[in-house]
Amino acid sequence: MDGAYRPGPFGRGLAWATALYLVLPILIVVPVALTDQRYLSLPEDGLSLRHFETVLASPEWLGSIWQSFTIAVAATMLSVTAGTLCAIGCWRISRRATEFVRVLMLLPLIIPSIVYAIGLYRYFGPLGLLDRFLGVVLAHGVTGIPYVVITVSTALAAFDPRLEQAARGMGASLSQTLRWVILPRIAPGIFSGAIFAFIHSWDELVMVLFIASRDVFTLPRRIWDGINENLDPAMAAVAVLLILFTLLLLMADRALRRRSEG
Amino acid sequence: MSDTKGHALALRGLSKRYGDFVAVNDVSLEVGKGEFLTLLGPSGSGKTTILMAIAGFVAPSDGAILLDGRDITPLPPEKRDFGMVFQGYALFPHMTVAENVAFPLRVRGMSKADRDAKVRGALDLVQLAAFADRLPKQLSGGQQQRVALARALVFDPALLLLDEPLSALDKKLRAELQEELKALHQRVGRTFVNVTHDQEEALSLSDRIAILNHGRLVQAGAPGELYERPRTRFVADFLGKSNFLEGTVRGAAPGGFALEAGAARLAVRLPDGAAPLAEGSRSLLSLRPEKIALLAEGDAAENVAEGRILAFAYLGAGFSLRVATEHLGEIRATLPAWKSPIAPTEGLPVRLGWSADAAAPVEEDAA
Amino acid sequence: MSAAGRPGAGWWLLILPAFLLLVVFYLAPIVQVLAISVTEPEFGLENYERLLTSSAVQRVIFTTLRICIITTALALLLGYAIAYAITLASPRARGWWILAVLVPLWISVLVRAFAWVTLLRRQGLVNNTLMEAGLIGEPLPLVWNEFGIVVGMVHYMVPFAVLPMLSSMREIDPRLLAAARGLGASRGEVFRRVFLPLSLPGVIASGVLVFIFSLGFYITPAILGGGKTLMVAEWISLQILDLIRWGLGTMMATVLVVAILVTLAVFSRIVDLRRIFGAGA
Repeated sequence: MDGAYRPGPFGRGLAWATALYLVLPILIVVPVALTDQRYLSLPEDGLSLRHFETVLASPEWLGSIWQSFTIAVAATMLSVTAGTLCAIGCWRISRRATEFVRVLMLLPLIIPSIVYAIGLYRYFGPLGLLDRFLGVVLAHGVTGIPYVVITVSTALAAFDPRLEQAARGMGASLSQTLRWVILPRIAPGIFSGAIFAFIHSWDELVMVLFIASRDVFTLPRRIWDGINENLDPAMAAVAVLLILFTLLLLMADRALRRRSEG
Repeated sequence: MSDTKGHALALRGLSKRYGDFVAVNDVSLEVGKGEFLTLLGPSGSGKTTILMAIAGFVAPSDGAILLDGRDITPLPPEKRDFGMVFQGYALFPHMTVAENVAFPLRVRGMSKADRDAKVRGALDLVQLAAFADRLPKQLSGGQQQRVALARALVFDPALLLLDEPLSALDKKLRAELQEELKALHQRVGRTFVNVTHDQEEALSLSDRIAILNHGRLVQAGAPGELYERPRTRFVADFLGKSNFLEGTVRGAAPGGFALEAGAARLAVRLPDGAAPLAEGSRSLLSLRPEKIALLAEGDAAENVAEGRILAFAYLGAGFSLRVATEHLGEIRATLPAWKSPIAPTEGLPVRLGWSADAAAPVEEDAA
Repeated sequence: MSAAGRPGAGWWLLILPAFLLLVVFYLAPIVQVLAISVTEPEFGLENYERLLTSSAVQRVIFTTLRICIITTALALLLGYAIAYAITLASPRARGWWILAVLVPLWISVLVRAFAWVTLLRRQGLVNNTLMEAGLIGEPLPLVWNEFGIVVGMVHYMVPFAVLPMLSSMREIDPRLLAAARGLGASRGEVFRRVFLPLSLPGVIASGVLVFIFSLGFYITPAILGGGKTLMVAEWISLQILDLIRWGLGTMMATVLVVAILVTLAVFSRIVDLRRIFGAGA
């Protein structure tokens, strides 16, 4: 579009205003986290890291961070394994036969978590999975599958099906074809899916509110309690840490994609 | 060299239907040991489907595929032991040249040492030993094509299948690689089955050509046989260029006949052993443009047609003329430029002549 | 003519783990929700009668619909402006615009709700600044009401609105716009007569996506509504966790699911659903 057509002043102004509306409120937590005051405010006499110290010295916060991390790792492994295999299967088998599976995969994205959460609350009771590590991993892992299926399917769409034919034609079995030809080619898509599945679990709150209570107390759950009970600058410090962590993951994703394209 | 290494392939009544669409219709074909057979046809003629059925990627709706008389129709591709060069080569982009060539050996569980020796041998065969550690994208199109060949041959396959192996290359490179491919076929002595839509490639490479149209086998035979004695109008038109002259058979005899086309009577001599045509029947003649000569004043020929030049084109090696004749409509002729008796100009009156064995009767194709 | 091949049983086995996980640990709990809504406290449609008789239930539904429609309209307007800017931007500027959309998309919804509380509450940064500047005497009620909910929800939904619109705008051939100007149309006319109609499928797709996401939204309304303005999701949570009224809670959950599926079914006739969810990742 070489200067042929540009938005007018109204369109441009609205776009800028929207971009600021999207980004600025998130950035506001940074100065708040660095405040030297004991209450939620902008810094007055200088910047201070004391609220970060509070968080990083608190066994509660650290415990929740660790718990969220281990849950997200386990859930991601579940999502990635099931999602990758499923995407490959659907890709190889004709479209129509797998239409049902594809629709099934979309459900967790369409149906609100609140509906699934209350369902799990009842469903996990008799199974003894309430307030258990395994229960949360299952819930997050299963709902993370669609993210992996979508990214891996996108990677597969760019995969030349003749490579698979070539491998089979040269005598490779299904598992050899998977390991040596298909998986190395779609690895960037799988990593992308893994990052999204990880963020999904790491940030997930609604299900956790229902299926976890004391023994499993994830980071989002602790933030939720913090927002509802005591708004202090330590919350802002946690928010900043979370933002940094998410940015790191997204940058890793972009770097991987760029490398696979280059 | 060694016909013992090659295997014989046979297709028996092969058909493939996709719903109502018939991609391949009752094709039967024999490929001899060590033979280079080309499946030739326009796009949509079913040639690639036949190749994919031989490779095992397409399950036939009907019919059987036999290797040395053994039915292999139900075998999956990985159990057939056929080498294949794919259109666009299908080299694994994440593996080096050597790793690509080693792939079929690796899946067979061959030891590293044996693998390396074999890979070296195969790369030597295609003169690419120096490129073993490159990635496919660092190679030229011609080099990629040779890697694909090495990879397809390295495991001593029973059969080598080639799907439009030269179509991605430019014209000059294509001619070079045609020669190389032909030489390779002679060196390894295996049975090759090639698919192409390029008639020149088919003529220059093949021991035998099978011409396909609308999923049916139209004619199979040696290149010269197909070119000189096409069975149908489609074959004559697809393999080279041709004029078609229609008329009624008169004076039918075992050795030939005369074709009455309007006011013209054309002498036709049939090759030995050809079946005579029925007196009074309609017949279609195929007359190759290069078999027509431009007659100088006073020259005689068994068949002569007078007319005027409608258009001409200079092709370097020769001229291509379109001549409007008095009785036979428009006729195309190609003449070697260096011995052309005239300098063609539009509207110039000319006499065309050809011998009685230049034209061959062909059938109309079934719709 | 490319071969479809013959997929063996092995390929179906690949689908099996995901399929079983989703059926046993996703579909089953949700089907159970639907079942509870007609069996508790006793078998029948008693819970659903509340839709017609209970003014509290009706109020929650109307509040939710009102907020969702306002949110969708605002998210579409702002999202359109961004998508339009991205489509027409130079390749380098485009990268930054996309970043401005993607980064908020992936930052925790809790963090964003917290940021809004920090800004909008009584002693928040906005009210403090305005009071210090002497522009207002009393803090404005910016949060723990419908206004706060809409601000937070639109903020969450704009990135979702941008993605489908962006993919449909990218399919518009830029030469059409140049051609229209070359034929004498003003910039406004090019936008109204050429760009807007061509981008409409994306707008509808975005609208559907934002609307159905908004309907069941829980965290942002719960935090920014401060318990005073109830939307459906928070109301369901209240029934289950605090009032232990499973019948009512699951009834509303069922209504929510049905409303979403009906919306999708209606709009799938107008716009390709793949356009909605294909761009979501």
